[in-house]
Amino acid sequence: MALLEVEDLRVAFGASTAVDGVSFAVEQGKIVGLVGESGCGKSVTSLAVMGLLPRGRAAKGRKGDQPVQAAAEEVAGGSVKAAVAAPQAVPAGGGRRRGGGADVSGRAVFDGTDLLSLPPAAMRRRRGKDLAMVFQDPLSSLNPVVPIGRQITEVLERHRGLKGDKANKEAASLLDRVGIPDPVRRLKEYPHQLSGGMRQRVLIAIAVACAPRLLIADEPTTALDVTIQAQILELLKDLVDHEGTALLMITHDLGVVAGMCDEVNVLYSGRVVESAPVRELFARPTHPYTVGLLGSIPRLDLPLHEPLTPIRGSIADVIRWKDGCAFAPRCDRVADACVAGEPALVGSAHAHRCVMAEEVA
Amino acid sequence: MSTEDHALQDESPQVPVQRTAEPELPAASADPALLEVEDLKVHFPIRRGVVVERTVGHVRAVDGVSLQVAQGGTYGLVGESGCGKTTFGRAVLRLEEPTGGRVRLGDDEVTSLKGERLRKFRSRMQMVFQDPLGSLNPRHNVDMLLSEPLKVHGVGSKEERRKLAVETLDAVGLPKTVLERFPHEFSGGQRQRLGIARALMLRPDLIVCDEPVSALDVSIQAQVMNLLDELQGEFGLTYLVIAHDLAVVRHLSDRVGVMYLGKLVEEADSESIYEHPRHPYTKALLSAVPQPDPEKEATRERIILKGDLPSPANPPSGCRFRTRCPWAQDICAEQEPEWREAASGHKVACHFDL
Amino acid sequence: MTIAKIEKLDRLIEASVSAREAQTGSLLRQSYRRLRRSPMAVTGAVIVGLFVVVAILGPWIAPYDPTAQTWGREVFLNRNIFPGPRAENWFGLDHLGRDMFSRMIVGARQTLLVGVVATLIGFVAGAVIGGVAAAAGTFGGRWGERVEAVLMRTVDVALAIPMLLLALSVAALMGPSLSTVMVAVGVAQIPIFARLLRGSMLAQAHSDYVLAAVSLGVPKGRIVVSHILPNSLGPVIVQATLVLATAIIEAAALSYLGLGNPDPGSAEWGTMLADAQRFLSGAPQLAIYPAVAIIVTALGFTLLGEAMRESLDPRLRSQE
Repeated sequence: MALLEVEDLRVAFGASTAVDGVSFAVEQGKIVGLVGESGCGKSVTSLAVMGLLPRGRAAKGRKGDQPVQAAAEEVAGGSVKAAVAAPQAVPAGGGRRRGGGADVSGRAVFDGTDLLSLPPAAMRRRRGKDLAMVFQDPLSSLNPVVPIGRQITEVLERHRGLKGDKANKEAASLLDRVGIPDPVRRLKEYPHQLSGGMRQRVLIAIAVACAPRLLIADEPTTALDVTIQAQILELLKDLVDHEGTALLMITHDLGVVAGMCDEVNVLYSGRVVESAPVRELFARPTHPYTVGLLGSIPRLDLPLHEPLTPIRGSIADVIRWKDGCAFAPRCDRVADACVAGEPALVGSAHAHRCVMAEEVA
Repeated sequence: MSTEDHALQDESPQVPVQRTAEPELPAASADPALLEVEDLKVHFPIRRGVVVERTVGHVRAVDGVSLQVAQGGTYGLVGESGCGKTTFGRAVLRLEEPTGGRVRLGDDEVTSLKGERLRKFRSRMQMVFQDPLGSLNPRHNVDMLLSEPLKVHGVGSKEERRKLAVETLDAVGLPKTVLERFPHEFSGGQRQRLGIARALMLRPDLIVCDEPVSALDVSIQAQVMNLLDELQGEFGLTYLVIAHDLAVVRHLSDRVGVMYLGKLVEEADSESIYEHPRHPYTKALLSAVPQPDPEKEATRERIILKGDLPSPANPPSGCRFRTRCPWAQDICAEQEPEWREAASGHKVACHFDL
Repeated sequence: MTIAKIEKLDRLIEASVSAREAQTGSLLRQSYRRLRRSPMAVTGAVIVGLFVVVAILGPWIAPYDPTAQTWGREVFLNRNIFPGPRAENWFGLDHLGRDMFSRMIVGARQTLLVGVVATLIGFVAGAVIGGVAAAAGTFGGRWGERVEAVLMRTVDVALAIPMLLLALSVAALMGPSLSTVMVAVGVAQIPIFARLLRGSMLAQAHSDYVLAAVSLGVPKGRIVVSHILPNSLGPVIVQATLVLATAIIEAAALSYLGLGNPDPGSAEWGTMLADAQRFLSGAPQLAIYPAVAIIVTALGFTLLGEAMRESLDPRLRSQE
């Protein structure tokens, strides 16, 4: 049985559905990718699994209720700062507003327990310890007025009961492990004194402080330069290889997916449209959306000035899944069958949600 | 964790290249360069003090960059954040005051223009911004956005301006029904089309595209890149494309320059630079780009650079890249490498032939 | 693709869009919706609305002439006899036997007038100073930077003087009158508006759309007037609501100190408060009515202003 099994996850903010029945599994020591463009529901999925969405109607709209804001705060236990206004993490196009909150349903079974049905206090105990998260924007996820050493020891204290010198030593060795030179000196520094890459390493150090069994990385390298991205990806891979951590990787970058992931789920408009082992997906992309994405990226390994074949329209050109395939308005293969009701996810190892797949292939 | 396992230390040559005194070759192509930048410098003073401000140093954002862009060509300037590429683009357009150097567009010296003459001259060079929403005034509708450049340059009557706006909208693939709409009513890709349309309104010779697609979704990036391609032919445009994404630059450009810490480290035709990168930084950059192909990813040789970008206020002595270079030798700290032509049309600033 | 298929797709897209649009809309509409849902805004709006209606209609809804000493014979100052609330005088009588309720109602107009005019003076003068400073500093080259420095240092100095003291000095120069109060309070607000508009304009001046305008060759004056200014006024207008609250209190304070309308018959909340002071032990209600009115009105404007500021906060706006 997989370490994390998400089944039929749905998240709605008021009238708009951000995640519309997503299922996937992450096994111990594996890297699973959730791929898609803005608004596809990939970030909301991860926030829901982490229990970091403001709860539905019952929950009161607290001031400045941004899911990510609360999220960053919760993850490391208090001192990690709340000012992530990260709109990237909150997909566009919906009517979610403060006071709205999310209605979450489905199951996210982690090691036998359904995380979605856990009471908030129990979930809080698990966060940071059993599952941890790394966000896109390292600067706003760290508290600017607390030295990074303190931000790490806080987690160690809370989840592992380490105090004083012991905690400091452990913090230094964590920084060393994520490749920060001169860690003892760095402990006293503040986030603004570090470069973007260093900050992301600190966040990863915080995330892995309690040796979580599942790490969720939400666009961990999007804000970083390509040479720094290479360093961070190497680090994450190393963690998975040596610690057996499971990694759920959320990204829009198919290059990162190809290099990192074992399994890939492609999301469009809140649903998985294609799901396959990484080699299989890139060798035989089946859903027109996946094909379109692959045709849209300029590549270094193709002949110069090879024309791109973009997907037409934008994510605003979408129809409701209950009416047909949400991708149909942008799809070149669209047929009558595409708008004749809900398309199902077919296949097991390599699954896709396209009624025309057989005929085209 | 060690980050430099993959550094190819053993391959580094031990002897600096003997340089033969080659005379500067005149450009082989018949096309004269439309844009010529010579030794452009932009230094920002670092000021300290509360009551009396004094200058305690300079951030050398751009520190002596020379390049030429051929008429109708696309020059791609690539580099990581903080390398000075954005400042360079703005200095070329005189949106940032150059500290030194010359910029020539056609027969005109851009760097010597002042006041009203500079303002008038701006119609010949335009810019496309990274953030399509931020670069459009939220209170102006499309009609106002597009007709303003014409109005301030005294082009046409109200009807003519509107007609030109509709034509340009058509060229960027937007219907004329959008004229009355405001920027926030569009999607990211459409906004970028508007930004491009606005830059086109004055039918400029040169367009500087600063990260034209990096704020867009993958599927939209391709649309915008194809559009830039089409418009280049249709309007006879010359592009200076500034981007951090090597694949984007490769796709759009026919000549590419790589910038590091305020200077060019390598410049060549796209084919040559991507097939045979000669500067260690270019090699590292190229090796760091993840490929959307798992088979290739499994075998991709990565040169993982150690450390971060040094401060441009206090660049390293000698070669600026030496602090992160896997091949660095003693000479790199002592001498600044010459900007030399390593092969025909392929310039590089490195002591070694790698 | 067949025409029918395209039509069907369009219809389905339409359906999906309208399902989402129920929740979104233009930025202003979103702000308005947030405002309407905020209890703070609603309370503020109700108070302000009531106050404005009363202020405008005052003379017509007041049951009696506020200056007529109709019941003068029923008040005995030295014996502390002030008839309290009763059927014909809801708020009772003041020390000269005038109807308190009518005086309160008519006084609202003066308070509103002083508040609005004072705020307008502060707004206009402050906006001019702040606007000129920001424009000069951004586009005026080295000379402009000097103009900006001089203007803003002056404003800083003015800001360092306590507002009441500043107002008192102005009032002392002009002698007591209603316009004194307006000018005094208005002048005291100038620095706030100047700083606010300048800050707001500088933030806009560094935005990409202003850079775009420069690169298009839009003349500097036009950039300031048609690009920077319209996008900078929002926070300043919101601030004006908050300043109105302060202005009302300040104006009352100045009147209380005897710098307001010298006509003893005029009904003004601050003057009424000052008058009531002498009879505080015998008839505290005379002080309580105007005091509560001043506080509640100021509170109304503050609530509304704060709620507006929050609703316009870009961090709370949805992305698309």
